[in-house]
Amino acid sequence: MRERIDAAVRSSKADYTEIRLEEGESTRVSFRGRDLETADVAIDRGGIARCFVQGGGWGIATFNSLGDLERRVRQAYEGARAVQAEPIELAPVPASEERITVPLSDDFRGVSLADKKSLAQEYNEILLQYDPRIVDTHTTYSDTFSRVTFASSDGTYVEEDRPMVNVAFSAVSREGDNVQRAFEAVSKVAGFGAVQGHHHLAETVAERAVGLLVAPPVQGGRYTVVCNPRMAGVFAHEAFGHLSEADFVYENPQAQEMMVLGRRFGGDILTIADDGSIPGLRGSHRYDDEGTPTGRTDLIKDGILVGRLHSRETAGKMSEHPTGNARATSYRYPPIVRMTNTFIEGGGTSFQEMIAGIELGIYACDAFGGQTALENFSFSAAYGYMIREGELAGLVSDVVLSGNLFVTLQHIDALGDDFQWAEWGHCGKGQGGLPVSMGAPHVRIRDVLIGGE
Amino acid sequence: MLERVMQVGEQAELFEIESESTKIGFQANKLKSFEVEETQGMAARAVVEGRLGFAASSDVTAVDQLIDHVVASARLGDEIPLCFPESRPGPEVQIYDAGLAELPPPRLIEMGEEIIEAVLEADESAMVNVDLTRRVRESTLRNSAGAEVVVRKSPLSIMVAVERVRGDDVLALFEYFSTAALDEEYRDFVSRIAEKLRLGRRSATLSSGQMPVLFSPTGAPLLALPLIHGLDGKNVYRGISPMARRAGEPIFDEKLSVLDDPTLDGRPGSSSHDDEGVPRRRKALIDQGRLTGFVYDLKTAALAGTEPTGNGERGLFSPPSPSFSNMVVGAGKTPVEEIIAGIDRGLLVETPLGLGQGNVISGRFSNNLSLAFKIEGGEIVGRVKDVSVAGNIYQDLQDIAAVSVESEWVYGGIRLPYMLLSRLNVVTKG
Repeated sequence: MRERIDAAVRSSKADYTEIRLEEGESTRVSFRGRDLETADVAIDRGGIARCFVQGGGWGIATFNSLGDLERRVRQAYEGARAVQAEPIELAPVPASEERITVPLSDDFRGVSLADKKSLAQEYNEILLQYDPRIVDTHTTYSDTFSRVTFASSDGTYVEEDRPMVNVAFSAVSREGDNVQRAFEAVSKVAGFGAVQGHHHLAETVAERAVGLLVAPPVQGGRYTVVCNPRMAGVFAHEAFGHLSEADFVYENPQAQEMMVLGRRFGGDILTIADDGSIPGLRGSHRYDDEGTPTGRTDLIKDGILVGRLHSRETAGKMSEHPTGNARATSYRYPPIVRMTNTFIEGGGTSFQEMIAGIELGIYACDAFGGQTALENFSFSAAYGYMIREGELAGLVSDVVLSGNLFVTLQHIDALGDDFQWAEWGHCGKGQGGLPVSMGAPHVRIRDVLIGGE
Repeated sequence: MLERVMQVGEQAELFEIESESTKIGFQANKLKSFEVEETQGMAARAVVEGRLGFAASSDVTAVDQLIDHVVASARLGDEIPLCFPESRPGPEVQIYDAGLAELPPPRLIEMGEEIIEAVLEADESAMVNVDLTRRVRESTLRNSAGAEVVVRKSPLSIMVAVERVRGDDVLALFEYFSTAALDEEYRDFVSRIAEKLRLGRRSATLSSGQMPVLFSPTGAPLLALPLIHGLDGKNVYRGISPMARRAGEPIFDEKLSVLDDPTLDGRPGSSSHDDEGVPRRRKALIDQGRLTGFVYDLKTAALAGTEPTGNGERGLFSPPSPSFSNMVVGAGKTPVEEIIAGIDRGLLVETPLGLGQGNVISGRFSNNLSLAFKIEGGEIVGRVKDVSVAGNIYQDLQDIAAVSVESEWVYGGIRLPYMLLSRLNVVTKG
């Protein structure tokens, strides 16, 4: 294969050429209520050729048939010539040559489909049997093993194995018109053992779904909010992380002004960074999808904006260094600037101290989802509790945080001493779900707008 | 190939897709990339000793593996009283336009330039990204009952993302247009984007409270999305749809009608048959407020003991599930200008944030709005920021104050009018 790829790259007339091939197999077992939705194995093979021509632009060809790679390079080259873009300069990266394997103890490829189904069924039974008010469940087991091969005309050749194993539990409870749900998931770059033994987590989901039935919807208004680490991690990724992706600013002078390095974004306690090189996390790889080595990039340090995430193109344009954040969801897509593992650094406040002074507040836990329109954000907590007179009070439902990023970051006034990585995370930018990790401690934010009836 | 799947079980089905597309990308107001895509894939289903299995592959040469996988899947599958459909005719509908399928790339580039020019005319400081994609997609469904259905479409889609940054004030729009017929409708789509930018230049303040809220077609998915979930036969069968077991009841205001309409010419969501070979048909699901039906695929219909409705849709790697072809919310009788003129103090919702987040099926919503305008004295007076709306469609849609004559396609397959709710909770910073 390597010879064919090298020959195709060499055949190119473009100023820069890369080929990325992906060959993978995934298993999925999914239950809805008592019914098995599917237990199946899918094969996915495909590739992308990307060319860049000075005086032209980017040309891209994506395909499933891995036969004639030289033809794909030609298609990409012709595309690049059909475009007249502004001059592009790719920031240099050292040529690398590496074959990356991930040793898996208990490799899921050696586990039968029947055993994978049994595991999912065990978890599903826990949800179903917890309470008659649980009317629906969605329990999935999934794994995927793909080999990604990347070669560029700059001399880089990297083959990387990308394994991932997941279980996810979701329960829907209903009483009359009141419908509630709860969700938990575990996702690891690991073998089958990593998703076994989570029976207690399944029970937590069932308990929460039932608990939310009697939880009153939160009263809308402005509150002091304590976010649990998973909610705070999503906040760091969604509300702030996307603004620090250089493709947002590199061709937009007004946006550059807004995101000017050196600007104060928060108090001295606030540090936010992205690091694709931490072993074993969902967003980790030795190299990004342009062959740039990954590493830690501080975004906010001690409250001050100090960095941003780059591809080779955005770094070239802004005369900064590539950070290893050019990532693609699959062979269907060219790499764009994406986060890897994004986190708010831990602080020194215990959870008890954090809630102690709050007369009326909200403890917002986990995120059903989050969306931002740059400086505006909206996050749905999966569940929450009222905080009254310094103590956790009852469970509340429909907790949605919204607000303006710049104001909200300034309002962060305490960081917990309990940093955690979430076990689950996807980023939907442009190309749909790409695995990422998000980490944070408990975070206290003053004066947050909570929607509600 | 189908014959080989047929040898392993009593029923068999083979679904094949092939598609080719060309995409022109503009970034930051400038032409940036040219992309061609070729997609192939096949998926098999088989019923072996009454049990249903599924397998898929994007490598069309991996035939032996596909057969092994579908058999392994069926061995573990549930027993389902499902019968793949026989060959039956479906409605004739125009979704392939040779002019569109062969639209030359230079024309796509011209269209992109025209769009950017129109947006910049409305606001010269805007940063515009545009993707124009023309595609030809052919799916072939064959099964052991003798059905053979080929669906060929030529969709064109245009994505426009606009960012305007002034100091710390950001206006971001993300708009999507699609068609399967070569016409000039995209120009209206572009002028509406320009209009939003113009209106967004002025800002306004609004204090929290209960007030009339008008949802534009791009804002109304906040109300339509819970309906889509609630009318999905799978959620009905599972008992989590608040509309389950309420067929025939008046649930909403008489002004609300919802259709599933696969017979509309020129819409990418239309087709003669669904992805399981079942003929499609136009049907009312909510008729003047009364619940009249749900959408089903083969499997869910079999489990629920009802008839499939021609709404089985699938991607390559997933078994079919119920889905709308085109969801059409019926237009009303009042021109939108008249609706606005009648509002003394209220909010116009253009773009909700966090659509689909939270507990959608319950009907409750609570969303921040990335673009909303204040209406005062019967006129749109300016953009309101840091504002959110909350409600529950199962209460709020029982009393709809007005539905507009005008309606638009949003997100490709949903047609929505302007809808006015007379009292909704609005929370603002002011």
